[in-house]
Amino acid sequence: MARYLIYRVAGMLPIVLGVTIIVFAAGRLAPGDPVQILFGDISNPAVEARARAQLGLDRPLPVQYVRFLGGLARFDFGTSYAYPGIRVSAMVADALPVSMALGTLALVVAVVLGVPLGILAALHRQSLIDHIVRFFTLLGIAVPFFVVAVGLVLVFSLRLRWLPVSGWGDPAHVVLPVVVLMLRPMAYITRITRLSILQVLGEDYIRTARAKGLASWAVTARHAFRNAAITIVTTVGLALSLAFTGAFVTEIIFGIPGMGRATVTAIFQRDYPVIQAVVVLYTALFLLLNLLMDLAYAALDPRIRYT
Amino acid sequence: MTAWRALRRDRPTLLAVCTVAALVIASLVVPFTTHVAYDTQDLSRTFQGPGPGHWLGTDQFGRDILTRAAYGGRISFLISGTAVLTHTLIGLTGGMLAGYFGGTIDSVLMRVTDVFLAFPPLLFLILITGLLGPSIVNIILALSLVGWAGMARQVRAEALALRQHEFITAARALGATDRRIVVRYVLANILTVALVRASLDVGPVILSEATLSFLGIGIQPPTPSWGVMIAEGLPHLRTYPYLAVIPSVVLSIAILALTFVGEGTAELLDPKWRRR
Repeated sequence: MARYLIYRVAGMLPIVLGVTIIVFAAGRLAPGDPVQILFGDISNPAVEARARAQLGLDRPLPVQYVRFLGGLARFDFGTSYAYPGIRVSAMVADALPVSMALGTLALVVAVVLGVPLGILAALHRQSLIDHIVRFFTLLGIAVPFFVVAVGLVLVFSLRLRWLPVSGWGDPAHVVLPVVVLMLRPMAYITRITRLSILQVLGEDYIRTARAKGLASWAVTARHAFRNAAITIVTTVGLALSLAFTGAFVTEIIFGIPGMGRATVTAIFQRDYPVIQAVVVLYTALFLLLNLLMDLAYAALDPRIRYT
Repeated sequence: MTAWRALRRDRPTLLAVCTVAALVIASLVVPFTTHVAYDTQDLSRTFQGPGPGHWLGTDQFGRDILTRAAYGGRISFLISGTAVLTHTLIGLTGGMLAGYFGGTIDSVLMRVTDVFLAFPPLLFLILITGLLGPSIVNIILALSLVGWAGMARQVRAEALALRQHEFITAARALGATDRRIVVRYVLANILTVALVRASLDVGPVILSEATLSFLGIGIQPPTPSWGVMIAEGLPHLRTYPYLAVIPSVVLSIAILALTFVGEGTAELLDPKWRRR
């Protein structure tokens, strides 16, 4: 396992390097001069040269890239263009926990509801329940987050007045965003659960278990679910990444002070370091998630041994 | 002809195909019938609910919502069509060459796709349109850059498998050049896979464009897009909900229908792909 881990992490390094090169290059290609953005128009060439040297912009591009990389390694993403003097890392430290909490909460709800629904649909294949579950799964996958949000706000906040339209800090503020955010991940989890249970139910060992007189629930719980779980767990990674990116859109709608709002604000203010930091952070996070899912896969399935 | 017969038997897919066709035709034709431009303001007729004259009502600037929804459709279909075509061409060419020739081309291309697949799609779109500016060309560029790597991967795998086939060996034994083999045999056999993948990609691409536009970093007002219209309707959700609801419904129907068409195409063209 340890060797496999080292192998996988080593394999990730060139990818991370490639990602940072693209992010760095996109920052260079962006219109506008950082010195002008940070200090305004400087008429004195000597002052401008000093500002340029201070930001390291007078160095050759490869040197600048290495410095950029060195900064990333220390969680130093530079200074915000829009709010000079404020470190991007400080802005991230404020916003990231909010987004992570929202995404994780949505995932937990999605798993708790999605897995039983998937099993139910698989056990009653081609029944009314199955058709209803499949219809809503399809809706969940096809209908965008913000359309769901519009509908829910309209009904539960504006018509029924049960929940606040937007805001953050109160438990009631969390309900609608989490519901919006969980639907799509839940749709995927339900779909995969249903499919993998159906697949497992066709296996010989299920027939054996039934033949030896094992109760139907025991077959489902002990044999079918435990084998299907391997596939389900790997979907959870995908679902979590869906919840994290979905949080971007959801935060905008509900006025939640997370990464999504910080990023969109940064785009409007042409705050490039923030955008770069967000892209690098989330890409790294998703690579890590992938790795964790693969490790979980190896841990759950005794047939798989990485040496 | 067999395709048509299979389609007629598959009712949901047939319905979806008709829906997509209706949406495309409506987006092309409707602007000629409403006699107003998408950005014609009429401040004496703001917030008119759906009714005669303005069949879907008017928005906060007195603009005709039907006209705007139709133009939004034109833009969505134009962008998604161009983006999917572009990323299919890039992915098909790259994947086919990598899979057929193998070696250095293959390993370089695979490492590059690794990098592109590592980005969360929405974040990559934000990076490109956020840094380079949200023009239509940049949106198409960003969407194509997101989509090509997956296409290249799939085409490569297929080309790799094809290379082992006897008819390729036979063609080579008969003295066919690499160029002839790639065009006549590999491409001909891979086109189906690429087509299936492309048809599955259209829905998600429309969704991505709508998301970007909704966030304000895609299509820029006053140019209409379904995402833009939903975002513009949000502040009036309490008093005039139809402003946001109409484009939401149209967008959802479009994506749902495209998803069905994609899965239907996959099932029709690729026997390995079964809807379960």
